[in-house]
Amino acid sequence: MMLARVADSLYWIGRHLERAEHISRISTVMLNATLDRADLAAQAAQLALAALGDAEPERAVLPVDSARALVLDRENEGSVVTSLASARENARQVRDQITTEVWERLNLLYLRITDAKAKRAFNVDAPGFLHGVIADLHLVTGAADATMSHGEGWRFMQAGVHIERAKLIAHLLKVRFNQTPAPILDDHLALVCLLRMACALEPYLRVYTADVTARHILEFLLFNEDFPRSIRFSTARIEEHLNHLARGRGGQGAEPARLAGRLNARLAFAVVEDVEATGADVLLTTVDRECSAIDQALYDTFIAYPLESRLPA
Amino acid sequence: MSGTKATRDTNKRSGRLEGYSLGAAYDEMFSPDGATRPDYQLLRERIRTLSREELADRQQTLERSFLLQGITFTVYGAESATERIIPTDLFPRIIAAPDWAKIESGLTQRLLALNLFLADIYGAQSILSDGVVPRDLVLGAPSYRRQMQHLFVPHSAYVNVCGSDLIRGEDGDFYVLEDNLRVPSGVSYMLANREASRRTFPGTFRQAGVRGVERYPDLLLATLKSMAGDRRGNPQVVVLTPGVHNSAYYEHAYLARLMGVPLVEGRDLAVHDNRVFMRTTDGVRPVDVIYRRVDDDFVDPLIFRRDSSLGVAGLFNAYRSGHVAICNAPGTGVADDKAVYAYVPAIIRYYLGEDTILPNVETFLCREPTQLDHVLANLDKFVVKAVGASGGYGMLVGPHASAEERAEFALALKADPENYIAQPTIQLSTAPCLVDGRMEPRHVDLRPFILSGEKVVVTPGALTRVALKRGSLVVNSSQGGGSKDTWVLADGDAQLAETTP
Repeated sequence: MMLARVADSLYWIGRHLERAEHISRISTVMLNATLDRADLAAQAAQLALAALGDAEPERAVLPVDSARALVLDRENEGSVVTSLASARENARQVRDQITTEVWERLNLLYLRITDAKAKRAFNVDAPGFLHGVIADLHLVTGAADATMSHGEGWRFMQAGVHIERAKLIAHLLKVRFNQTPAPILDDHLALVCLLRMACALEPYLRVYTADVTARHILEFLLFNEDFPRSIRFSTARIEEHLNHLARGRGGQGAEPARLAGRLNARLAFAVVEDVEATGADVLLTTVDRECSAIDQALYDTFIAYPLESRLPA
Repeated sequence: MSGTKATRDTNKRSGRLEGYSLGAAYDEMFSPDGATRPDYQLLRERIRTLSREELADRQQTLERSFLLQGITFTVYGAESATERIIPTDLFPRIIAAPDWAKIESGLTQRLLALNLFLADIYGAQSILSDGVVPRDLVLGAPSYRRQMQHLFVPHSAYVNVCGSDLIRGEDGDFYVLEDNLRVPSGVSYMLANREASRRTFPGTFRQAGVRGVERYPDLLLATLKSMAGDRRGNPQVVVLTPGVHNSAYYEHAYLARLMGVPLVEGRDLAVHDNRVFMRTTDGVRPVDVIYRRVDDDFVDPLIFRRDSSLGVAGLFNAYRSGHVAICNAPGTGVADDKAVYAYVPAIIRYYLGEDTILPNVETFLCREPTQLDHVLANLDKFVVKAVGASGGYGMLVGPHASAEERAEFALALKADPENYIAQPTIQLSTAPCLVDGRMEPRHVDLRPFILSGEKVVVTPGALTRVALKRGSLVVNSSQGGGSKDTWVLADGDAQLAETTP
């Protein structure tokens, strides 16, 4: 039992942190690609921007400028700095509910990225700067794991992390596994790029060796049970956490758990051949849509429920 | 050659004292002849051994730790909001055991009397009928809450948390400058400053025999629970905050966390059938005690300010019907009104039949024509305060004001004399502070915290507020004030009693 507003804030801390990490990683891949030939670098930049929902990824902007906007632009709603500011603002509002360790890590990261020196550090060594941000984010999530009670509040936070992650990976895969994918200059490089953006290159190689194929990537990032950035992994976690949250509430909470169970079953019992036959974007769209439905159900059930329905008679 | 070096060393060591000019005010650390007061010996020795760089380092570490912990307040500028820490000074202020004993008994006496005064004002009003305090002064005050009339408050504890402002005058005695009976804040700084100073001077802290303040959160919780009466065995306590944009938000969250109770906003609460509930993930849960950090005006839009979104509609009726306790009770402001302040010694005599232990500062009520004339004639010597204002606003510090400022204020004073009181300008005592790497005297006051529920408890510690501008007498954080830790020393016996369980 916790305040509904607190659960809401914890959920959003999870979502914002996940978002900040994802964007930092995609920006890193984009910047590293600039070390390649100019046309290949442009291809990587387009992939990256499309994965983040940019409607016109072809716009001729230098990757480093795009990356700077994605990371440090406070006007940009989806930038790393905005996500971190939102996560911290939410954390401030539930300061009594998270541990000092989590708060101090998050606050430190926020102070670093909003510091006047951050822009210069980024201009001098953008990949190094982003590497630091991602490492700091791991310290925040690690502190949450290691010091918070793994009770209700933590589960709301984790639900936020995995709903956001499933949606982000679905968006990422859609860029390449669309019905009508954009023409790709060098597919091998694009595929490796995709793996890097999902932080999946090394784990992938261990499973499939250096044989990088579209089908294997699709299989790995959709269905792998053990890799923490596959959609299947996230849907399993969402189901697990929502099942826990539904326990002991006498039917209240059943709806989010039901939706999460259905989504997880879709991933658990599908095979890559079927997905290829229908086109992967059908499943990817379903994942995105059902994650939104779970988010809505979570609100209706735990957070923004009509008061009249719960008052004592 | 070696002789020169030694001289230089001595100079370097005593160098920090150069420029430490003892003024007319009482200095906490040095007696008028420049000798270190006995209770400061240990600290003085320790500071002597630290170089300028070491002191600067420690100051930086201290500020950094406050920033990291998020002990900040928000300054709203034209475009963006920035977070600042409240400047915190490195050197603790020390209060000797006998001084504290007097403060403790004085504050206990004062709060007992003020609670009885409130119970009377909101009850039979005998003190008004007996003509001890003018009727119109109380009933006409904007902080008087008609709605509180004849409402039962357990233990007659209207003021559960009190933060009185004390000053030490030129004679070295403590005076009460102000009673804060509404929603006093600053206790989180008392606790945070203690954490910091303990790390800055660990050895000195251990040796000095400083009394602990760490029990404050659980004593507060016990006080709040005692206000639930016997309605429920284990009452649900919550802290009600105006929200994250309030300048004291850090403190609200801090106290909630240390007490282990939910920190709620108005929107988390709902009143149904004269009972208060909070919205949880598991439906609604009853609330028994609300430690509100929201002003009276904003508690309930149905009763007080209609445009308030910080409170809870229907809360006051739930309170009236005895289903929930609000701490502090609404309407306590009538007893810390600056005009009522002048009557506190009479109030103490009336209810307790005792002499005042901690004296007031001499106060002139401008509502009395003869006193007004005296104030107007000596405006350059007085501090004039608006009765309803707080936080250092709406006041004139006569000796520091220009002739025009005084003339302007005189007009306001004549137009609405009832709204003003005047006090002689008192040289607040000074304490050494680290300013640009040097030890310099700055004026300080003292805010101890007193809890009152079933019984009255004075926490053996306080927030010492510092006027950071040289010569300034205004210590409020909204006016550029800072703070420092306050060490209340145990006398030998008490120290033993506290360490043996």
